[in-house]
Amino acid sequence: MDNILSARTLMGFSLCFHIIYATIGIGLPLMLMVAEGLSLRTGDELFHQLARRWMRPAGVLFAIGAVSGTVLSFELGLLWPRFMAFSGPLIGLPFSMEGFAFFTEAIFLALYIYGEQRLSRRMLFYCTIALTLSSAASAAFVISANAWMNTPTGFRLVNNALVDVRPFQALSNPSWAHEAVHGTLAAYVATGFAMAGVYAFALLRGSNSDYNKRALTLALAIASVSLPLMLVTGDWAAMTVAAQQKPKLAAMEAHFVTASGAPLIIGGWPDPASGKVLYGIKIPKLLSILAHRNPDAIVEGLDAFPPGTTPDPRLVHPFFDLMVGSTFIMLAPAAWFWWLRWRRRDVPLDTWLLCALLLASPFGMIALESGWLVTEFGRQPWIIRDLMRVSEGVTLQTGIGLILITFVVIYLLLTAGLLKLLLRPSTPADRTETTQGDRYVDL
Amino acid sequence: MWTFENLAAGTVYLGLAMYAVFGGADFGGGIWTGLASGPRAREQRDKLFHAIGPVWETNHVWLIFVVVTLFTTFPKGFAALFTALPVPLVIALIGINFRGAAFAFRHFGRQTGGHVPFMAGTFAVASILTPLALGMAVTATATGKIIFVKGWVQTGPWFWIGPFTLVGGVVGMAICAYLAPIYMTVRTEGELQNDFRRHGLYAGLALGILTTLEIPIAMVDAPLFADRLLALRGAVLVVLAVSSGITAMVLLWRCHFLWAQIAAATTVALTIAGFAAAMYPDLLVGQLSLAAAAAPPATLRSFFSVLVIGITILIPSLLFLYWTFRGEPNPELPQLWRNGEDHE
Repeated sequence: MDNILSARTLMGFSLCFHIIYATIGIGLPLMLMVAEGLSLRTGDELFHQLARRWMRPAGVLFAIGAVSGTVLSFELGLLWPRFMAFSGPLIGLPFSMEGFAFFTEAIFLALYIYGEQRLSRRMLFYCTIALTLSSAASAAFVISANAWMNTPTGFRLVNNALVDVRPFQALSNPSWAHEAVHGTLAAYVATGFAMAGVYAFALLRGSNSDYNKRALTLALAIASVSLPLMLVTGDWAAMTVAAQQKPKLAAMEAHFVTASGAPLIIGGWPDPASGKVLYGIKIPKLLSILAHRNPDAIVEGLDAFPPGTTPDPRLVHPFFDLMVGSTFIMLAPAAWFWWLRWRRRDVPLDTWLLCALLLASPFGMIALESGWLVTEFGRQPWIIRDLMRVSEGVTLQTGIGLILITFVVIYLLLTAGLLKLLLRPSTPADRTETTQGDRYVDL
Repeated sequence: MWTFENLAAGTVYLGLAMYAVFGGADFGGGIWTGLASGPRAREQRDKLFHAIGPVWETNHVWLIFVVVTLFTTFPKGFAALFTALPVPLVIALIGINFRGAAFAFRHFGRQTGGHVPFMAGTFAVASILTPLALGMAVTATATGKIIFVKGWVQTGPWFWIGPFTLVGGVVGMAICAYLAPIYMTVRTEGELQNDFRRHGLYAGLALGILTTLEIPIAMVDAPLFADRLLALRGAVLVVLAVSSGITAMVLLWRCHFLWAQIAAATTVALTIAGFAAAMYPDLLVGQLSLAAAAAPPATLRSFFSVLVIGITILIPSLLFLYWTFRGEPNPELPQLWRNGEDHE
């Protein structure tokens, strides 16, 4: 493998892994906050117990998120030093802010997890507020750096050097708002559905405890509030992309030829050789309406841009459809659940409904990962759009393939270790081993 | 003197010192988990694990702070460092990964250091590997061997292995092994406290010998660095670090643990300050000055405005954290975990 491909694979691999943990690190604090808030408000202990039980997975996932985030910060330098040397003065600022937000998050998580016996219930609730705010802020800041790569602003170029640097303008670049809102909400949906899946599974196995019902309702409530907002912010994002990043939009929609009254193509396989989409479903004029709110508007296709400057629609269009499709896969069982919940005034436990929720549960994460792939593949071949190609940002150091292999082995080992621990049955012997006299030895 | 780039460099080294003083102690805990011995070996391990549990993640963030500050304020320096030093940095990352994993997996309960030798072993090895590799990477910047050709780093993959950096790596390890037991003396009592006191004295002695040894080695292997270290500014800090180190040893010997803890942390901070003074005015000794590596002034200005806001949020939060978990690390975990109760 050449250096660029190795570097891209490693970065993609690390991000794909980190995104899962980071997402839960954003979503779970909101759940904790709502549960602790409800517990304080209603005096119902069950809500508090709910939150305390989420804490153990939260601790583990946060820790992995912190570590995989460190890996990423190192990889920025190990793999993309030329990109960083150029853009560090601009995207360093949001990363610094993210650093502080993450710091705050780590502190309040530690306080919340380990402080139960040292802090009042109200103080624990305040900790979850700080946790929710700082995790959302860290998401928004880190997304700003990605948004800048899509729509770089806040500087002028003179002889390939940065002049007139305005970091705060770079921070608030034109893609930031929609990417940050869309991305943060996506984390709430992904976490909510993943957790709903866990409780749907528990209910399917027959443990119809109040605890499981309450947890399922709460997780689905947070996900269901965020889900319609995903469609709204997704539409906002698409319109902004249509105005600012036309090649990306063309690749997303597998739109090869510039046309007025452009159709929306759902599914299918884009074939760049023939410039056609095989087996796709066409809805006339819908792309023009969605992109420009006008059925006869002209939408630039991939042919409107010089060859070698546009992304490959085969990598973008399928993931775009997967992202949008996932939303509807989640929307249907969620709507069914709330309909029955409203009709019966009790948590519905129909087997088919629970099965549907279980099946839909990974799609929040799938949608989020797909959306990330759309924005990344959709920017190719640029690392900074229209300014620096990926091949110009990669390291000149050789042997990146070796680093790639090292990290693949590490991640496989860690995943194997995690699975082994998660799947290991709890035996009575373990329990006696975990307490020694009056003190616990179990972390 | 008080230029933005100097202040930024000060911030990087301050972050490094915070990482050493807080995160370093966590690595030291890992080292002593591996070296725990005698009749109370198991208790030593458990105490170390419990002390580190609530704070390691927060402490780890100092490393991210250093990396982020470095690429924001010295983007060229960051690019050069990471191009020149992939091997030690990857080794450090591997250590960080496994150390984090060892801790994360313990969250799932049912395990203790004594019962799961593999997990404890991973934790110990990772805790040795990371400070060693980071120590070597940091001291490699002082050797003057990171060479630029046409604005880009041109160095072989193994230039960072030499007498100066090897001792530098061991100093990194020694700093960690030195802090952990001394911090533990305030969190334990009786025999166990005495064990940690003894470990602290050994490690202090080792750290003193190693840092002393590093000076003549630097004269041969990193001459420019050695010159600056022995010039006025560097020498003052060396003298301060040595006196602080001796004070810490005396306090520890005489069982003034709280003050010994403060003196030990001060010693480490002063050692790093001495290193920073000997690096000045370069980021990479003799090859890349702070001024040449720095980001444009507008970036540095906005970085410092963010820093000020960030710190006003951070400091009270950190104080609250350490204040809440002050004193002996009693079983902190909530009832639920302590009963070994199982979850869905």
